[in-house]
Parts: sequence; structure tokens; C-alpha cells
Amino acid sequence: MMRFLLLLILPFLFTGLINKTKALVSGRKGASVFQPYFDFIKLLKKGIVISETTSFIFQIAPSINLACMILAGLLLCVFHFEGDFILFAYVLALGKFFTVIGAMDTGSSFEGMGASREVSYTSLVEPAFFIIISSICAIGHVYSFDSLFKILSFNHMTWVLIVILSVVALFLMILVEGSRTPVDDPTTHLELTMIHEVMVLDNSGVDLGFIFYANALKMLIFTTLIASILTPHSLWGYMVVLFIIAVLIGIIESITARLRLTHIIEYTFILITLALMVMALALLTMYETGAKGRKYDYFSNLPCATSPSFSVAKARRLPVAVHLLTSETDTTAKLGKAVFSSYAGVSSGGMI
Amino acid sequence: MKEAKQMMIIFFTSIILFVFSGLAQILFKEKYKAIIFTLFSGLATVLGLIPTTIALFQNKTFFNTVNFNGLIGNVDFVLDPLSAFFVLVILVISFLAIIYSRKYLEPYNKKLSAHYFFLGLFIPAMILVVTVQNILFFLICWEIMSLSSFFLLLFDSEKKEVRQTAINYLITMQIGVLFLFIGFILLNLNTGSLDFASFQGHISNTIFIFLLAGFGIKAGFVPFHTWLPKAHPIAPSHISAVMSGVMIKTGIYGILRMLTFIESPSLLLSYLVLFIGVASAFFGILYAITQRDYKRMLAYSSIENIGLITISLGFAMLGSSYHNHLMAGLGFLGVFAHILNHSIFKPLLFLSAGSVLSKTHTADSEHLGGLIKTMPYTASLFLIGSLAISALPPFNGFISEFFIYLAMLNGISTDNHFLFPILIISIGVLAFVGAMVLIAFTNMFSSIFLGKSRSEKALKTEQGSPISDSALGMLIPIGILAVFSLLIGLFPQYFMQIVINSVNTFLTTPLNFPTQILSNISMFNLALLITIGVILLVRKLLLKNKTVTIHKTWACGYDKPNSKMQYSNYSFSRPFLGFLTPFFIRELDFKGIKELFPKATHFKSKTIDIFEYYLIRPIINFDKFIIQKFYWVQSGNVQKYLLYGLIFLLLVIIWVVRK
Repeated sequence: MMRFLLLLILPFLFTGLINKTKALVSGRKGASVFQPYFDFIKLLKKGIVISETTSFIFQIAPSINLACMILAGLLLCVFHFEGDFILFAYVLALGKFFTVIGAMDTGSSFEGMGASREVSYTSLVEPAFFIIISSICAIGHVYSFDSLFKILSFNHMTWVLIVILSVVALFLMILVEGSRTPVDDPTTHLELTMIHEVMVLDNSGVDLGFIFYANALKMLIFTTLIASILTPHSLWGYMVVLFIIAVLIGIIESITARLRLTHIIEYTFILITLALMVMALALLTMYETGAKGRKYDYFSNLPCATSPSFSVAKARRLPVAVHLLTSETDTTAKLGKAVFSSYAGVSSGGMI
Repeated sequence: MKEAKQMMIIFFTSIILFVFSGLAQILFKEKYKAIIFTLFSGLATVLGLIPTTIALFQNKTFFNTVNFNGLIGNVDFVLDPLSAFFVLVILVISFLAIIYSRKYLEPYNKKLSAHYFFLGLFIPAMILVVTVQNILFFLICWEIMSLSSFFLLLFDSEKKEVRQTAINYLITMQIGVLFLFIGFILLNLNTGSLDFASFQGHISNTIFIFLLAGFGIKAGFVPFHTWLPKAHPIAPSHISAVMSGVMIKTGIYGILRMLTFIESPSLLLSYLVLFIGVASAFFGILYAITQRDYKRMLAYSSIENIGLITISLGFAMLGSSYHNHLMAGLGFLGVFAHILNHSIFKPLLFLSAGSVLSKTHTADSEHLGGLIKTMPYTASLFLIGSLAISALPPFNGFISEFFIYLAMLNGISTDNHFLFPILIISIGVLAFVGAMVLIAFTNMFSSIFLGKSRSEKALKTEQGSPISDSALGMLIPIGILAVFSLLIGLFPQYFMQIVINSVNTFLTTPLNFPTQILSNISMFNLALLITIGVILLVRKLLLKNKTVTIHKTWACGYDKPNSKMQYSNYSFSRPFLGFLTPFFIRELDFKGIKELFPKATHFKSKTIDIFEYYLIRPIINFDKFIIQKFYWVQSGNVQKYLLYGLIFLLLVIIWVVRK
């Protein structure tokens, strides 16, 4: 419950921290970390401008999106039952649905462009999310967020790997879903390269405030997910993870450029790769526990699994894990390459 | 026993009444035909619902044997929870479509006798298909169903493409029947009986695969789906709604009925079904995104939903293959729940699409836009349908997808190392399909209803009057479907009881119905609605006494944006489809813009279904090649035809004499 309250209060502190980090890295003093709160309050006090092309969809979309984010936070922190993460993913999708049709309602070519890109680039987030969560669920035989956080532990090599990979994947999801660099650039408003910011070009006043809030909340929700995996109980741990991730996002935004549009999808494919690795590791864990004592086992007739000495089996398995690690560095190298080519893209003016 | 007899009498009366209503309206004036048909078929629906609901909710099996002397012998009709579920769906959806048809067909100014006559055959044929328990009678009803729907497709028969497509449909259905014939003949050779009851334990893998192909053509499994996207654009919208919402489910019924005769399906079959499901879901929705014709897009989306049903069926079969009863139960729950939900939101979408079509007379979404201002009710209903089909809470589509995910989760935690990666990957595909549905429907909804109108067609009707919303006679049936869609989503713990008895017919031990989870979802959905309400209220309060300025859409300083600069259906889906180019073929006809002061140019794109291109087309070409060799047979020369008759008679005489 406490986490849920923090989740509702802290989103703007989170974006404030990111902005502060960016300012400090670039050698500026920067605005106060509480600046986004002041912006939000100011926006709530303003009147709004509505396009003559729009219908009621445009006016309800930001509110519905915000409601979806709040309820997704509720599912993550308070309201647990079997299969809650499925509902979680679909509530986030509901928010996206309304953001997209709200943007399309203006009939603007810019907003259409943003909407089209948003749905395209986030399309791989949901599969990766499901693969990761269901893999972890499978090992622990659990179906809900709270029990999922309970079973994660660091006492075994494969578990540590699973946690690392999941956290990396979830961190990438923050960047994709929260429209941060290198997927999107939240600082410029009127660029053709934009994804999320351009979708909300016509929103103003209260609606814009809601959109800012919902977007920050979305990032914080994914951060909370990471924090719950790393420190499921401690509130201070939660704050520390939140701080680290905000600073990390700020640093990444300071030192990398936005990817060229054609490379973004390659970037989101990293998510799928990570998710499949988590799946492979989960299979490994199941295989390990299965070899120890289960009778009806698919692999039981293999020599390795029936081997009486557990250490032999483990020794054989270790290279696989090492291999998995190296293949991860492969993708990181690829990412580096993609980032590099995006720099090249900037210099040749090929960003669009 | 007495009750069973009474119930079956009511049931048969209902069927006869349907046929009768088709016949009766012929006698009346053109003006009254629709009303007469609606009245009689309404009565038939009410009558039919009595035994159906009793069988379904009280978990009873009504059984009746009709003795046809001679060739067929005894024919069993059964109304068990499995059949009753399908009968319920057929009755309710067909009746709503019939109500809708009155206003929808009015402006066509055509003779309606034939249309209603065949509708009066089509509905009872579907009902009989899902109740009869005899091979021969089943095939007869199946053929009546195919033929009557063929005639229903021919409503606009003066158009050449309509006739061509209808013929294509008929041929595809005949190929399907061919597979069923093979399957049933093999079965008959094994059992020596025409009764379904004798099949128990006799359905081998080969037979099942033949039947799967036969039923799959009707259901629209990839790669047998090519008839669906052709048939739906030409069919009147209420017929599309019935065909897509109900008729293709008879294929699923066939598979389910055959499964009741298999104790535990072999692993091969289970994985095959799962694979077909994944392929249908993926390709169905991929092609839905590529379409700009909204009825064709809805047809492809039906293929995707059939795919989801089949994925769930695959999970259920895997569950029973691996003796995991909970997974099997949840899988079957997913199957029935999704059949129910799809038969609500797909007709909802088709009927509201029909409402757009009847005003704008174009099915091309690239010519529409901005209709939400002139047709707000239709737009809202289409939006509800889009949300439901994208499986978003708080609508009904989510509930059935939730069951499918639950079945999967149950399957992966059984520590089966072979099943685990397959399930996880199929769930990855399922989630990707979910994201694609969202793209398809945000795209279609926006290009039809949002933004500015892209052509005159979206502003004025053909008569030149400004477009207004459709008549209440059309909106009310759609509204009923929308209400059901929301109610099922809000209170799944009550509404999903509809399917529980049907699910239990497949299980040895009754399924422990997940009431607790569903009431949690129900609570959550209510909370979602309340939160949305509260936030909207807060917004309203904040905007009180504030200036609300109406202004042009901000075009980044450009002052004269026109409606053609909007993102269109094509451009919206373009970035996404860019990643998936290997899975479809797109023919572009675009010279490009070359000179400094470019002249008028044109752009044309056409998406080709790879299954049609690589699988169906070669078969047809081969067929043509063979048939060409026999063109000389049909010369149009009467003497020659008489000669054929003579030769035939001679052969018959020789054959008889030889005996």
C-alpha cells in the first residue's frame, strides 16, 4: 500500500531527477528536482485549446490513459490475484489505445506519424514482458505479482542470471514505453523524429498535465517492477533503486543519441532476445530440479540427467550459461554499433 | 423422459417455424416482408431458446430419434450442453441480425423474397448441423447451410465480382465437404454405422486430420482461409455478421464434437492444432493490418479470432494428452468463452460497419474519415467493438484471452521440458498478436471515424444529403450487443457460467470454476470505470470557469493543412509492416516524383496473401491446365450432347446386361 502511495506521489520527482542528472552531466546547474510538480500544477490551472477537427475522443483520451496507469500501479502494488500480470499488460494497452486514437482524432499528419510509430515500436514490449514473467512463473509455480517477487532469490547461479536479464529487459522497456533516448527524444517537441511527444502536440492545459503525469507514472511503474524484483520488502531499497534508475536514464540520455528510426526495431528486438534467454535459463532451472528427483521427466532417459553425481550435470551445464552471457554481450555490441550508426546518421542529416 | 420429448417438440417447432417464416413472407407485399419474417423468426427464436437454455443451464441432455424409413434409418437429434451452447449463440445472433436487416435492406429497393427465404433455410440448417448425430443427415444439413449462405451472398448478384466471389465460396465449401466425406467414409468403414455415437474410440489420427481439414475450411484456418476475406466484402452486413459470428463456428463445433469421441488426443494432433491456431492468429491479424477495406479487414480479423480459439483448443488437447486436467479445463473454458465473446463483438463490428456502409456506400477506409461527428452512435459502438476485440478491459474480449493465458500458465508450471518452450513461444506470439490487433483496430477506427473526411463520400450520401446516423432499427441490435460486451466484461463470474456445462462435457472431473479470480477481475474493471469517471469529473471541475478555445489543429506553423495530409490507413500501418515484409507480398505501382516541378502522379498498392499466391493459385492453375484439355467436350453443339447421352445409355445397358 505504501508503495502504491509513493507510486502516485513520486512520478514527477522521477522525471525531475532525470532532468537534473542530464543538466549536471552537461555542466549546467539545472532546474530543481521538483520543477515537474510546479509545471503540473501550472498546467492544471490553465484553460485548454481544442482543435476544431476533434471529437469527444480527444477530450476523454488523456483522462482514460491516466486512469489506466493508476490502476496498473494498483495491480502491481496492492491488488494481487492469479493472473494479475495479464490484466496489468492489458490495462497498459488500454491506455495506449486511447492515447493513439486521441492523437488520430486531431487529423494532424504529425500526430498520425507519432501514433503510428508508437504502436509499431512498442509492439514487441508486450511479448517480451509475457515471456519473461511467465518463465519466472513457471519455475516457481506461481501466477501473481506478489508471489512472483517472493520466489526470486539470489542463491543460485541461474537465478542470478535470470534476475539480471529480467532487470535489463525491464529497464529497456522503461526506455521504450516511457519514450526515452535512444528510442525517442523527450526534449524536442517539433521534430519529425519524435514519437511520443508529437502525439500530444495538440493537447494543452489539464489534458497535457494528465499526459505528463501518466507518462511519468508509466516509467515509474516499470521501475517499481524492477525494484520489486530486486528488493521486494524494503521501502528504502525501493527508493534507492528508483534513484539509481532515474540517474541511469539521465546519464544514458546525456551520452547517447537517439537511434535512427530504422534501427529502433532492431533495438526492441533485444528485448525479445533477452526474454528468450530468460526462458532458456528457466528451462535450465527446471531441468536442474527435475534431474534431482522427478520420475516422469521428458529428459530422464538422457545420460546427463540420470547421472548420480549432481556436480557432473552442473559442470556440463555451466558452459551453456557462459555461452548465454557471451551472446548477451553480442547484442550489446550490436546495440553499440546501432548507436554509433545513429551518430553517423545525425552527421549525414539522415535522422528522418 | 417426458420432458425430453416435450422439449424436442418445441425445438423442432422452432426449426419448422424458421423455414415457415421464410416461406410466409413470400405471400406478403414487399413492404411487409421484413416485418413478417422478423415476427415469425422472433417467435421461432423464443421457442428455440426454451429447450436450449434448459439444456445449457440445467446441464441436461435432450435426445430424440426420428425414424426416416428406408435409406437413412434412425436419426438422432441431441441437445446436450455442447450443442445447446452453439444453438443459443446461433439463435440470439441471427435474430439480432434479422432485426437489423429490415432497415439495412430498405434503401436497396430490391425484391427481398429470395433473401429471406434462404435466410429462413440458413438458420435452421446451422441449428440442425450442431444437433444432428448422424453422418448422412449431418452432411445434408451442412450442404444446405453452405448452399443457402451461397444464395445469401448473391444479394447484389448483378455485380460481376459478387457472382465470381460467391462461386469461389461455393467451390471452397465443396472442397471442404470432400475432406469431410473422406473422413466420414473412413470412419464408416471402421464402425459400419452412420451414428455419431458409434465413433467412440474409432477416430484415428488420419481420420481426425481429414475431418480437421474439412471443418477447418469452414472455420477459416490458415491456409484454408482465402474464401473469408473474399466473401465478407460482398455479403450484406447482417449476413457477414451471421457468417462470421456464427457460421464459421460450426467448423469449430465439428472439431469439438469429434473430440468428444476421443479419450485423450495424441500428442501429434494436439501440437498440430496448436500450430494451426498460432499460424491462423498470426497471419489473420497480419493481413487484417494490411487491408484498407474495412469489411475485408474484419474478415481477416475473424481468421485471427478463430486462431485464438484454436490455440486454446490446442492447450486443452495438450492438457488432456498430458493428463493435466486443470490445463485441459482452462483450455476448453477459453475455447467456449472466446466463441461466445467473438460471436458478440464480431457481429457488433460487422453491423456497425454496415451502418457506415449504408450511408457512405464505400468500404474503402481511405475515402472516409471524420464520421464520428456525423454518426456518433455508430462510432461509439464501433469503438466498443474495437476495444472488446483488442481484448482490453473492461470488455468481454479480455475475459476469454485471460482464460487462454491461464491455461498456458498452468501448462508451463508442470515441469514438462518439451511443452515449456513451445507454450512460452506460443504465448509470445499470442501477446504479439494482441499488439497487432491493437494496431489494426486503432488504425481502422481512426481512418473511418476520426480526423477530417478524406473524400466527398464521407460528407454526403449518394443522394446528396449530409450524412446522419443510422436508423434506430439498426442501432438497437448493435447496442444490445455492445451492452452484452460490457456486461460480460464487468461481471464475468456470472456470465461465464453460461459455458461451464459445455466445458464439463469434455472433462472427466468437473472443472473448478475460477470464480474468485473472475470476481477479482470484475472488481478491478468496476474500479477502472470508477477511476475513469472520477478523473473525468476532476477534469470537468478544473475546467470550470476556464477558457476553452476552439482552434485549428496545430500543423507546426503550416497554415493550410488539408484532409489529404492526414495519416491514412496505409501510412499508419506502413512502419509496422516494414518489419514483417517476408510474410506478405505488396505490389506497388508508383513511378516516384522525379522532376523539379513534378507532374501529377499516382500511387497504388496491393497486398497479396502469400497463401493464395503460393498455395491456392498454383493448385487452381494446375486445375485449369487439366480442365483445358477437356474443353472440347463442351462444344455447345446439341448433336454432340445427344451423342453423349446415347453413349452413356449404351454404357449403362452394357453394364446391366453384363450382370
